[in-house]
Amino acid sequence: MLTQHKQLAQLQTRCQTPEEDMQSFRNFPAPSSSSGGVLWRMAHIVEENKLTLTHLAELEMIHAMENPNQGMWYTFQLLEPENDAQSVELTQFKQQFKCHLSELLRQMSVKIKKHTDEAVWIRIALGSSFSKPNHLKPTYVVHYLQTPYVFVRNLTSKLKPLLSQALTLATRHQGVKEANLSGRNLTSIRDLLMRQYQQVFPTKYRSPPEEEDQPVLNQHIEKEQGGVAAHRRHMAHQAFGDGMLPQLQSAVYMLDTKFRDPNNRTMTEREETFKCVVKFSSIDLLESLRSCASSGIASAPVTPLLSSIPLKGRNYFVVTDNTPGPSSQGHQTQN
Amino acid sequence: MENVSTNGVLTHLSQLEVRARSPGGPETQRSRVKELRAEAEELRGLREQLKAEIRALKDPCFRQHLQELRSSADPRPSEDPPLLQMMCRQLDLKDLLHGHHLIGGLDAVQTRQGRAVCVSLQTTYEGVFLETFNLELELKPRVRIGRHNIPPFVPLQSLAEQSRLQTDPGAFLSTLSQHLNAFVGRRRQLQLVKEQHASVEVMESNLPCSILVLLFTAQTEKAAVLCTLEYSDHGSRLPGRVVLDCEDKQLLKSPEWRSCCATLMKTPVHRALARMKKSSLIL
Repeated sequence: MLTQHKQLAQLQTRCQTPEEDMQSFRNFPAPSSSSGGVLWRMAHIVEENKLTLTHLAELEMIHAMENPNQGMWYTFQLLEPENDAQSVELTQFKQQFKCHLSELLRQMSVKIKKHTDEAVWIRIALGSSFSKPNHLKPTYVVHYLQTPYVFVRNLTSKLKPLLSQALTLATRHQGVKEANLSGRNLTSIRDLLMRQYQQVFPTKYRSPPEEEDQPVLNQHIEKEQGGVAAHRRHMAHQAFGDGMLPQLQSAVYMLDTKFRDPNNRTMTEREETFKCVVKFSSIDLLESLRSCASSGIASAPVTPLLSSIPLKGRNYFVVTDNTPGPSSQGHQTQN
Repeated sequence: MENVSTNGVLTHLSQLEVRARSPGGPETQRSRVKELRAEAEELRGLREQLKAEIRALKDPCFRQHLQELRSSADPRPSEDPPLLQMMCRQLDLKDLLHGHHLIGGLDAVQTRQGRAVCVSLQTTYEGVFLETFNLELELKPRVRIGRHNIPPFVPLQSLAEQSRLQTDPGAFLSTLSQHLNAFVGRRRQLQLVKEQHASVEVMESNLPCSILVLLFTAQTEKAAVLCTLEYSDHGSRLPGRVVLDCEDKQLLKSPEWRSCCATLMKTPVHRALARMKKSSLIL
């Protein structure tokens, strides 16, 4: 892995100085391992077609846009739109964003592309005052114009304040805050926030009867428990939705409440609050919570602590004694 | 406890046995028969009385007399119950809801034992039913928006403030329905443009379909014309501003192109483009 990294770095230097002697590159020995062999072949293709770093960055961006469900995405929310925020169009946004970001940073490479589903993808590679932009660790930003949400991957602490400023100015808003939603699947967190998953609402028309997907095992059990089970299923569907759910990987609750347990008097009698963190992890968190609720492991009706995840579109909560449910503040004191 | 119960049942049985065997047996039976006969007479008398009453009520002049009596009597407040008023009001409300359903595609259903109302808004365009959006309004302690499946670019909070959701939820719902219908209509127009006019290229659009940039080729000199449609009012299906751009400035000054600009402001995009194609303005 380290050798591959080194080879990529060498490739980078090669592409930055095309006029240097490619002779030495041809003398580069063909390594024996298969992964090294792929890289060597790639380097050969690059040299033959005279590809530069910009071409490679573009290829990487296309790959990232076609495979968005990789890495860890974090969500931000734009606040307080100005009057003309609704009429910001793509060319204006591109111009403004590049202009504002280049004012703040010298060495950087920014690419903006529009995907077919109206998403604007931005790739930012940062350098420092002494070095060229580091294309090995680019930051990706995805934004849908005229919506308040921005999704970011690989954000560095150096870039964060500058990116916030450039985004707010380019989209004509007044501020940006963390939206407390993170996950590996960009499509899932986007669907959750844009409310594009199937939800269940009470209507005045009766819904079609549910299909029997499991054979009835025991008539007596079905007679006694059938109604109760159907009610639990209905509550679970109302809280989490019907059909395919967006895939989340974790939910974190930061609890800062007084300890309450009638069996444990020493802890209950303490004055200070009990701080702890509860984390749920799963391959598909919402699906597992829904089956917990419909099978009876979690009590029905579903507690607002769990149903807030799809309702508010977040998976990081801070719970204190003052609020009856999850509070609406993030873990950083921002508005 | 067992003794008490055995005492009760068994002693009772023995008493009955004694009574049956005693010489005063038939006399007690006879007195009982007399009692029953008297009761039967009484019931027969009651039956005759009721039959007479029914005959009297069926008699028309008697009924008229009774109605006169009723109408002349003062309508006592307790006799005109609030129950009747509530029933009338409920029928009115049902009719109103039915009217909303037929005209506006708005349906409302009470949930959570009357603490919330779930409203479903149906959207249509050109006679075709498109999406249905749902919104839950919590009623207590004050009217608040609960869960919904409305996309985030529809500004729910500002619509609620503008139409004062607390005092007049009906106005809020009708404004919201207008916005959603407009969004769905614009989206459908874009779909129709892509389907029906393959020669026109869509350069740019956005999620709420409020900005549309099209590229068409003019018939004369095959010049490329860039058309920008801005739907600044999100509650409208027609653009607020149309800008045409071409390399050949003279082309756009001709009266046909000026009228086509006006057409684009007044008719939906797909129909305007069909008209322009028919008049051989564009390819």
